[in-house]
Amino acid sequence: MSRKLLLTAVAALGLVVSQGVWSQSIKIAVLGPMAFVQGENHWAGAEMARDEINKAGGISVGGVKRQIELVKVDTNEIQSVPDATNAIERAITRDKADFLIGGFRSEAVLAMQEVAMDAKKLFLGAGAADAKLCENVTKDYERYKYWFRITPTKSADLARTIFAVLGSVGEQIRKDLKKETPKVAILSEKAAWTEALVKAAQANLPKMKMEVVGTWQPSPIATDVTAELSAIKRSGADIVFTIVSGPMGIVLGRQMGELQLPAVAFGINVEAQKDGFWQATAGKGNYVATLDTFSEVETTPKTIPFVKAFKERFKKTPTYNAATYDAIHILQTAIEQTGTIDANKLIPVIEKMESVGAAATATWDKSHDLIWAVGKTSGIAVQWQDGQKVAFWPPQTKGMKPFKMPK
Amino acid sequence: MFQDILISGLVNSGVYALLALGFSLIFGVARIVNIAHTAFYMLAAFALYGLLVVGGMPLLLAIPLAVVAVVALSLVCYKLVIEPVRQHESAVLIATIALALIFQESLLVSFGGSFLGIPNAVEGVTSIIGVRVSYQRLIVLAVVAVTLVATWYLLNRTRLGLAIRAAANDQEIANLMGINVSRVAMYTVGISVALAAIAGVVVAPVFVVDPLMWLAPLVTMLAIVVLGGLGSLKGSVIGAFIIGYVEAITVFAVPSGSYLKGAVALSIMIVVLLLRPEGLFGVVFEEER
Amino acid sequence: MKGLLAWPQWLWAQLRHEVLVLPSRSFIFFAALLLLVLPFFYDDPYVLRIITMTAIFAIFAASWDLLAGFTGQVNFGHALFFGVGAYTSALLSYHLGWVPLLTVPLGAALAMVTGVLVGIPCLRLRGSYLSLATLAFPLILTGVLFAFPDFSGGELGVSGLKRIMVGSVGNYYVAVVLMLLLCFGMWKIGDSNTGLIFHAIREDEVACRASGINTTRYKLLAFALSGLFAGLAGALFAHFMRVAGPSSLEVALSFQVVIWGIFGGIATIYGPVVAVFVLYPLTEILASFDIFKEIRLLIFAVIVLLVLLFMPQGLTPWIRDKIELVCPRCKNRNVFSRHQCRLCGAELR
Repeated sequence: MSRKLLLTAVAALGLVVSQGVWSQSIKIAVLGPMAFVQGENHWAGAEMARDEINKAGGISVGGVKRQIELVKVDTNEIQSVPDATNAIERAITRDKADFLIGGFRSEAVLAMQEVAMDAKKLFLGAGAADAKLCENVTKDYERYKYWFRITPTKSADLARTIFAVLGSVGEQIRKDLKKETPKVAILSEKAAWTEALVKAAQANLPKMKMEVVGTWQPSPIATDVTAELSAIKRSGADIVFTIVSGPMGIVLGRQMGELQLPAVAFGINVEAQKDGFWQATAGKGNYVATLDTFSEVETTPKTIPFVKAFKERFKKTPTYNAATYDAIHILQTAIEQTGTIDANKLIPVIEKMESVGAAATATWDKSHDLIWAVGKTSGIAVQWQDGQKVAFWPPQTKGMKPFKMPK
Repeated sequence: MFQDILISGLVNSGVYALLALGFSLIFGVARIVNIAHTAFYMLAAFALYGLLVVGGMPLLLAIPLAVVAVVALSLVCYKLVIEPVRQHESAVLIATIALALIFQESLLVSFGGSFLGIPNAVEGVTSIIGVRVSYQRLIVLAVVAVTLVATWYLLNRTRLGLAIRAAANDQEIANLMGINVSRVAMYTVGISVALAAIAGVVVAPVFVVDPLMWLAPLVTMLAIVVLGGLGSLKGSVIGAFIIGYVEAITVFAVPSGSYLKGAVALSIMIVVLLLRPEGLFGVVFEEER
Repeated sequence: MKGLLAWPQWLWAQLRHEVLVLPSRSFIFFAALLLLVLPFFYDDPYVLRIITMTAIFAIFAASWDLLAGFTGQVNFGHALFFGVGAYTSALLSYHLGWVPLLTVPLGAALAMVTGVLVGIPCLRLRGSYLSLATLAFPLILTGVLFAFPDFSGGELGVSGLKRIMVGSVGNYYVAVVLMLLLCFGMWKIGDSNTGLIFHAIREDEVACRASGINTTRYKLLAFALSGLFAGLAGALFAHFMRVAGPSSLEVALSFQVVIWGIFGGIATIYGPVVAVFVLYPLTEILASFDIFKEIRLLIFAVIVLLVLLFMPQGLTPWIRDKIELVCPRCKNRNVFSRHQCRLCGAELR
């Protein structure tokens, strides 16, 4: 009888205590298009961070340990920008989120940023590369200071990474094919973000002792690039320099394989970063290389354990959106350092922080954008070899394997 | 370059022709603007993916099964959703939009938003007049040709075809002549969706498959049927080849402007409409009072 | 003294004899009142945001009805006017720094001009040809905007715009008051001689012209008015969201407004407004429940289909038929509980 009473009392106490702990949790809203790969990765990366931190007791806020509670917010930004702004507003007012992380489609993130800044909530971006998001911080610091970009580096810095890798690839071609001046065909999707990169390529490649044999710009959603590829074949190109973010990247890989083009495709190919690329090209996308973020290489000491654990739990390789994992750790570091969750006090701490995350060793400049550095925030380059994504750059990072040319 | 345009345009035109023909059939007979037409094309592609890649069925079984399944689904939708509101033109319109959305969302939920690939029926490439063409594209061409001929035969040499053409010409008189117009409409829906489904299964390995793939061909197909003349079957096929080649020429002639091909096709449509409001081969319908 | 009382007296008379006699009108009246006083009781920014968006889309849907419902020019590219309004006011605000008070009317004006420009080629087109041709225009404009990314911002559009008022309550009132005024105005247009002519054009354009009416002028007028109001909605949208992007021209938006219009009941003006107020918050509410989140659009489409099956003429005509009776003699509407027409005294049943 008394044991029953004791048990009930303990249960009741436990309930009260857990409620107390629960209501004191730190709410982090994860915003993304949850029906698509990007949102799935946003959420997965956040879950990894939450479980890791909560298991260790939670975030220590001025001595009191508080658990992290994640709020899944489906912004549906790919299909509708108003849906995204409604969703973020809901996360702030209804779900009472303390922090916001995620975002993918730049047009939508620009609109969401406004809502977050109105509410003076910290918004850590994990997907949109548009420079404007951080230019706003410089333009009106007091309003936009709550925004930081965790990933990716801005479009202009992508160029620096690409040319660094191109240099490597060019060198390899010179050695393998005994050619002094490799021929490069630029194949870029027609979109605002590629304009600067295309111009930079046309200007820089000759300086890197590579000849530009032509520039082709199909639509990002083109379903057929045989026209372009036939012309590229005729031009005798050794490298097809790709600047593609849409599904055309899949078509490109597949058709290059089908037409048995002797050139190798390298550049930015967002679809090629996804695990589903091999299946989507029906196994033809061999030798396609692209910039990427996560692989089982030692970009930082945290990378390999994170990628391994992610693969085991979710049965797929993380894409760059999974850097929400890093975002949450950044918040944890800042909160534990200042002992508060007040955004205004956290901002100066993050500004000066060097964050050793799983994706990158990150530091920020005055516009709250990532500072580019090879091996730190530059990301890596991967190549599809027989159904596997193999990382090959930067060569000094541990775990890199060599780049292969098509036979 | 000329050969590239010739071959590339041929394949795309063929696919557009199948889609436009089916759309015109339904419009001509049942006066339905079927916004969900390309959605059925998408469903067939996904059905093939499901049966072939996920289910592991042999190709020769998966293809007909996919087509039949989609046609059956379309007939069910027609009976349940379209027929009851046949009288109200505007209601039919948004009913088809709603159906397309339902298909899109169901596929999004079942397969996710990522892009999927279907393996080719036959692997390999060959060279035709100096242009490298994959065997799969040749298959597409062959299937399109056979289907178009078969449809022509059906419409012009069979009794059912006669009934369909009669109903398309003048529904009231056809009814008076003893043709069961509502049943003919159903047959037409079946044939029309079959055309779209066949297009879907042959073309799926060539393109990428995703739940939003019905929107882009929809706009081009609408431009084609308007250009050719709504309700004119001959016009749809010819319009398909015109637009298909215009797109091919745009892509080749302006390598950095290939995104313009959509705008060019639409502009041509508008110009033709300004000059000849009923399209190239369209029949001006007597206002049905 | 008498002059001072005349105005509220007139108001009261209007209320008693025009508004409160019919349940549908009373409903709209009280709903409008509720919208106007809502922020005093409940100023949750999320709810205010939803209603602000709903009001903006209601203006948009009503403008479509004016063109498609009344005049029978079923426009499948209505997003064109919306996008023109949005982009114009955004670009003026961004490149020239003008205040919203100036850019919004200018955006609406340019959309009105666009309406006329689009209307001219559409004069020769009928039925489905018209619908499909109008589908093309927003796509062409999108292509043009992409061709000049430095000016228009390309795929990202224009961002960082100023709001019309500071704070969600201020913007709420701007949107709701404008909606009430404009939709009432559009309804009045529909109810006037001009509206009668629009109806006539839809029913039988040949007979209309035979009666000596210059249908060309009226059709262009319909396009212009429709463009004006849709452009205004677009400009409000741009300033509220603070971004104006290619999403304001997309096909999905054009389809959405067609759905709203037909779902609510065409040729009514209040029909599409009711439809937006029912459907838009519904999709938002569905979004806040975990189970429904991913299949929101699916549920939306299913609801639209079901309603269509049972109410093929639209939601509002169906409701009105249930609660109101039409007098057989003078054709005016009465409450269903009456036995004699309120205007001519005839027997109602």
